[in-house]
Amino acid sequence: MNGARRRLVPYGLLGPGAIWLVLFFVVPMYYMGQMALRSGSLATGGFTFTWEWSNFSDSLSGHEEQLVRSFLYAGSATLIALAIAYPLAYAIALRAGRWKLLLLFAVVAPFFTTYLIRTIAWKTILADASPAVDVLKFLHLVPEDGRVLATGGAVIAGLTYNFLPFMILPIYASLERMDVRLIEAAKDLYASSTKAFIKVTLPITAPGIVAGVLLTFIPAVGDYVNALLLGGTGQAMVGNVIQSLYLQQRDYPEAAALSFLMMAAILVVVAVYLRLAGTGAFMGEEEEAK
Amino acid sequence: MSAAWAWLRRNALLIYAGIAVLYMLLPIFVIALFSFDKTTFGRLDYTWSGFTLDYWRNAFSETAVNDAMITSLQLAALATIVSTVIGTLMALALVRYQFRGRGASNLLIILPMATPEIVIGASLLSMFLIYGLDLGFTTLFIAHVMFSISFVVVVVRSRLIGFDRSLEEAAADLGAPPLTTFRTITLPLLAPGIVAAALLAFALSIDDFVISNFNSGTTETFPLYIFGVSLRGIPVQVNVLATLLFLVTVIGIAGVLWQQHRAERMASIRPDPEPIATGG
Amino acid sequence: MSNATNTTRVARPRVVLAALLAVVAVFAIAACGDGGDSVGGGSDSGTEVAKSGPVEGEITISNWPGYMDTGSRNTVAEFQDKTGVKVDYVEDVNDNAEFFGKLQPQLEEGKSGGRSIFVVTDWMAKQMYDLGYLQEIDHATLPTVFDHLIPSLERPAFDPDRKFSVPWQSGMTGLMVNKKLAPGVKSVNDLFDPQYKGKVTVLSELRDTIPLMLKADGIDPSKASKQQWLDEIEKLGDAVDSGQLRRFTGNDYTQDMTNENVIAAIGWSGDTSLIENPDVEWRMPTQGCILWSDNMVIPKGAPNTPAALEWMNFTYEPKVQADLAAYIQYVTPVTGVKEVFEQQGKTALANNPLIFPSAQFTKNCTTQPDPPGSAEDQQEVTNAFQDVITG
Repeated sequence: MNGARRRLVPYGLLGPGAIWLVLFFVVPMYYMGQMALRSGSLATGGFTFTWEWSNFSDSLSGHEEQLVRSFLYAGSATLIALAIAYPLAYAIALRAGRWKLLLLFAVVAPFFTTYLIRTIAWKTILADASPAVDVLKFLHLVPEDGRVLATGGAVIAGLTYNFLPFMILPIYASLERMDVRLIEAAKDLYASSTKAFIKVTLPITAPGIVAGVLLTFIPAVGDYVNALLLGGTGQAMVGNVIQSLYLQQRDYPEAAALSFLMMAAILVVVAVYLRLAGTGAFMGEEEEAK
Repeated sequence: MSAAWAWLRRNALLIYAGIAVLYMLLPIFVIALFSFDKTTFGRLDYTWSGFTLDYWRNAFSETAVNDAMITSLQLAALATIVSTVIGTLMALALVRYQFRGRGASNLLIILPMATPEIVIGASLLSMFLIYGLDLGFTTLFIAHVMFSISFVVVVVRSRLIGFDRSLEEAAADLGAPPLTTFRTITLPLLAPGIVAAALLAFALSIDDFVISNFNSGTTETFPLYIFGVSLRGIPVQVNVLATLLFLVTVIGIAGVLWQQHRAERMASIRPDPEPIATGG
Repeated sequence: MSNATNTTRVARPRVVLAALLAVVAVFAIAACGDGGDSVGGGSDSGTEVAKSGPVEGEITISNWPGYMDTGSRNTVAEFQDKTGVKVDYVEDVNDNAEFFGKLQPQLEEGKSGGRSIFVVTDWMAKQMYDLGYLQEIDHATLPTVFDHLIPSLERPAFDPDRKFSVPWQSGMTGLMVNKKLAPGVKSVNDLFDPQYKGKVTVLSELRDTIPLMLKADGIDPSKASKQQWLDEIEKLGDAVDSGQLRRFTGNDYTQDMTNENVIAAIGWSGDTSLIENPDVEWRMPTQGCILWSDNMVIPKGAPNTPAALEWMNFTYEPKVQADLAAYIQYVTPVTGVKEVFEQQGKTALANNPLIFPSAQFTKNCTTQPDPPGSAEDQQEVTNAFQDVITG
């Protein structure tokens, strides 16, 4: 392949996806951006474009708590999901042998049923008077006169559970390509299991961990449905506020503005995280491979 | 006592993983359980009143449930294939090539994941109307591919990073053209990542509610049907179908793997073919 | 490793720059775009009256779930047999606000997404009408409807002349009570009794919850002032802060009541069939309930209005309505259905006060009101209520 054609290859690979995203994401976002700067209301003649920057500050005022809470819930859910997913993915990728694909499908298949049916099942399991909650009370994880549902804990549990596949799958994918002989080599060199893990396995699977964290955290911040069904009063997340602004209050400009603010906040947190994790684990420049 | 302790430590990982698997399957057990529950109106009531096989015998009697399920499966299958292909290509470009616009591309990948679903749904709707598209299966397909691409890219990318190029380089050294190398070396090695990404895309599509709600017109997907019917009681057949979906998936994969296993064993006991005389 | 850091140090400013450029570009295009005209101002194509004519072809009807009897010989099938009109009956109205949200861009353009009829609750019908999204109906084209409409629904506050709405089914909002665990709950104010703390829910529907609270405090909701609405909302906020209220619910309170997470709630009369707990019953609050209807409306741009009008007439025939009412079990808006049940020997249905509430039973009930005042006032009340819900 001559040089000029070679230079075009990445654009060719990128092309279909980029076009799809531009047509069906960027363009709608433009309309949303426009809406964020409009003012007025449906009933009084519609929304006119007036460079209404105040929408941004207005949408934030009174809703800072929900925004912070969203990051808190999403962050907790991400950490717990990581703690559950990594050992599970490790066991599947490296200890399940021939049946690893079966196990993988088996743990992801429950998520092909609709979110609502899964949540109804959880609400049955975690009902105030259920045996499961009695056990939790016995273990003093829940106070005697307390409950699990309609609390922040329930929302975090819901987020964790529903985003587990997002954490498991990338970690599995990067674990699966690991050459077990590297661990053996490390052990031959007198490294303990723990040290072998930290020095060999962890760095190799870092991209998978970063991917899992991003795929869990980012959508979890904007989630509304877990707080709606599993939470009670006082657990609303920023997604619920946006939902309410759009559907109930019909304040499309404020809904759009708050969405942008939330997205910006997410990007900032992600940028900080990638800095700490090393962007190589995400961007994957070629140099990293060498 | 210390022998037991040692056993525990050695198998700690497997025990932990076992508990994790049970945790992930817990709701599906409950769902399956209540598909056998006797109810007064044929609607889920979350209280156990006795065992019955009625709903399993009439599993496909609620046509609305079946139609919605079939629509969702078709949609998810199609969207998964397209988004996985597109996303894998993008991941290859992003990891293996230096080009201008990488930063912008990365941003383009992350943003859809960070956008609240109702905003994506509503703005897609406005845009479809402006483009003059009829709301229905097509618009749903477009939307589902759109929000899945990002997830596919991130998953495949994580598999590509740190990929050992030496096998590919060896193939190139042996004179294989790039496309052949890609097909016979890269793709198989990438396969677990692609499978993982496809699973994720499928789960995303089959579970989507908000974006589908806005852009479906009068087409009904399974989640739309469920959310709707939950207002007046979910038919028990929904639990039956959900359990069936799970069982079919798991048994299907088990079947495929079992076949592979048998094929390998057959190959290992079949006598080797006569060696070709090499004359020397 | 250092190589990677170098590249990323160069790449990162580029990413930031790209992001900034993108943001600026979006807003720049936004400014150049159709900045002048407004979006969502409501349709101003004037009043249209739904035309009648030969009944043929096909129609699409959007309704709430659970509002159509089932089986191969159901009402839809009967209509198709009788008129030859093919009906695409879709149950995609889950929530008034959600339905409005997804239909609004189309209704704005005078299109209905192919639907000839949809069914929305009183207040949503009124809002749609005020925004110019609905066609008017000529009573002369609906003889069966207006011959059989029950008197209490003939002149509702939101559409006194029944210009644009025809009730599909009616319902009552009141109290859903676990008589074993919360026997003393008889008035909506009892929900605020601290002995039930954390086991009480109210509806997230503004026009059900606040009017009931107003009634419990002796105020007529259809005459209450904006300040009175806001005061009740504040009272609700206090209940949230103290932990008295467990959640704001749609009709998912039914699962909570089945497994007794919740022992008293504001709920809808037709939901009793969803709660498999023999201790739970729907109670008429001492100060009365809220009466609402889900109404058939014809949007602008609806195809085949003659068939739509025929559907309305058809479903108001008492025999047809009886089949519907037996299944739906909400308040039927059609007279003569009780007699049909008696003829069919279905005495339990005929005597069910939740399907045929007597005037005595509903003597204190109010039809579902809107918050008072101008559009801005209503917006203020809505926002205050939403702030409490998403607090």
